[in-house]
Amino acid sequence: MSLVLVILSVISAILAVTMLFAKNPITSALCLLGVLIMSAGIYGMIGEHMIATIQLVVYAGAIMVLFIFSIMLLNIESEKADHTDNPGIFFSSVALGLAAFGMFGVAIYKHFTTANIYRPQGVFSSEMVAALGGNSKVLSHALFSQFYVSFEVISLALLVAVVGAVVLAKRKID
Amino acid sequence: MLTNEMLIQLLAAFLFSVGLLVVLLRRDTIMVLMGIELLLNSANLSLVAFSKSAMMIDGQMQVFFVITIAAAESAIGLSILVNLYRNFGSIKTQNATTLRG
Repeated sequence: MSLVLVILSVISAILAVTMLFAKNPITSALCLLGVLIMSAGIYGMIGEHMIATIQLVVYAGAIMVLFIFSIMLLNIESEKADHTDNPGIFFSSVALGLAAFGMFGVAIYKHFTTANIYRPQGVFSSEMVAALGGNSKVLSHALFSQFYVSFEVISLALLVAVVGAVVLAKRKID
Repeated sequence: MLTNEMLIQLLAAFLFSVGLLVVLLRRDTIMVLMGIELLLNSANLSLVAFSKSAMMIDGQMQVFFVITIAAAESAIGLSILVNLYRNFGSIKTQNATTLRG
């Protein structure tokens, strides 16, 4: 177990809980930004350099700037109690979250400790990826050969999203 | 005992639970959108870790597409948010209970 991974995970978990209970939306946005950067660090630690770069550039760079820009544009003020004021709903939601985490934990524990479980094995081991020219080269090659149609469809979806955002956000003429 | 893969999966499960609570508990629409981003990020973490331990690259490709869709989703969501603010003067979720435009 790597010490750096433990540190990144603990910081990430603390930031996520801070994001849940922060009163000011800017505080929550900055905590989410921290969680995304820590996730990029985890991707880098396990050797997924291209995903780490995309996470930093697109998620932490573009999407979070959009969020912070909207918070500033709409002038959202921090409130005394942004959480729901019904204590029954609050405690049942927390119980639901804890139950979800418990079930995920049991499933993960069983997956990693059961001996005779089917685990698919691909060909892209660390040595194989290094021999093929590194993580970014392998992923880019797969993206532009095996997943090329998906890539084109996703670019079309992005174009539709841009047009839709402009149409939704523009002021009405009349 | 606690391997790297298991630690990352547990972190992904924890972030998913916290994101679920953010979506359920907060009353600002922008906080609900941020909770959805946290949910997507935890799913990405789980996908990459499983794909890495299975020595495949399909999970990384999936994560690439998920990040793109998350960018599109947040752009659409924030423009809906601007419309909501323009119509109701507030972005609390309890104001948007009617579907009238």
